[in-house]
Amino acid sequence: MRTRGAMLLANVITGLTLGYTVSNIGFGDYTELNRMFTFQDLRMLLSFAGAVVIIVCAFALLRVRRTPGRIHAGVIPGAVLFGTGWAISGGCPAIPIVQVASGYLPALVTIVGVIVGIRLCRWANARYFHLDRGSCGL
Amino acid sequence: MSGYWPWWAGAAGLALITINYALTTDRSFGVSSAWDRVLHWRRERRLERMDEEFTDERALADALAAATAEHFASSPAAPTAPAAPQGMSQRLETDAEPTASENLSVTSPRPAPLVTQAALLVSIFFGGLIAAVTSGRFDLRFDMGPGFQDVVTANPTIMTVLLFVGGVLVGFGTRLAGGCSSGHGLNGCGRLRPVSLVATAVFFGTAVAVSFLLWKVI
Repeated sequence: MRTRGAMLLANVITGLTLGYTVSNIGFGDYTELNRMFTFQDLRMLLSFAGAVVIIVCAFALLRVRRTPGRIHAGVIPGAVLFGTGWAISGGCPAIPIVQVASGYLPALVTIVGVIVGIRLCRWANARYFHLDRGSCGL
Repeated sequence: MSGYWPWWAGAAGLALITINYALTTDRSFGVSSAWDRVLHWRRERRLERMDEEFTDERALADALAAATAEHFASSPAAPTAPAAPQGMSQRLETDAEPTASENLSVTSPRPAPLVTQAALLVSIFFGGLIAAVTSGRFDLRFDMGPGFQDVVTANPTIMTVLLFVGGVLVGFGTRLAGGCSSGHGLNGCGRLRPVSLVATAVFFGTAVAVSFLLWKVI
């Protein structure tokens, strides 16, 4: 599947199913998220970890192509900032969208914050860090 | 009673989405990189146009190379292995199927078109909306729910400030680390990429530490 139309269809299907699944798992619910991070309820943690295990097995069996990626200087500081922000706001970049779709209007503020953060990072990287950060998504 | 899916259904759902995307597009998806590209759409469009021009030139070079090879092959005096014009020889020599190790190499396809990344973000919204409405969880509200009020704050002003700051940290952090929970967590860890394993361990560990601080200390 390589044409623009086919890629568009694949992304629409992925977006719809991702939003549907993430919402039904409960990632958009701050109570559930905090209970996962504090190990009061392992349901969502097992969902995530179980998905990773299935994907590892499937990719190995299907010999799915690897993508490049190296551990650069921004990985650990970036992950620390992301983890902190996720625990405070309850949103990784997809979750605030699902929260707004579920009726949590203040999550619009989180989305504005995400937009500011992403633009700030690109500006700061060009001006100060000069890191080849790569990208996990293509 | 939360009404949410059991863990195995969630695991199967997330895995199916990731595997399906990888198989149908030969790419991985990342929500933070989709955000990044959509937010910098002018620059991305410029890059896409340059990439399209490059592809056209390469297609032209391929056609010229094929015509040259055909001409010399049909000529009685043709050399058995005509010299390809400079820059085309590599294409002529690599018609063979890639080996298994080459299939697992670290080469990258072209990035997904910008419009598909925008569609991904919009579709997430509609997927979430369908889930919320069909499950009966849709509830228009001006707070982040009882969990946020109990663990973080019930003050609307502080809530707004914290959501904004949290969002900035998420946006800045995911782009600095090169990915988020979907890109690094699902796609990267699924491919056992060292950078994704490290990033996921660190962002998950940090989120656990901060959540305990919010829950027990603050």
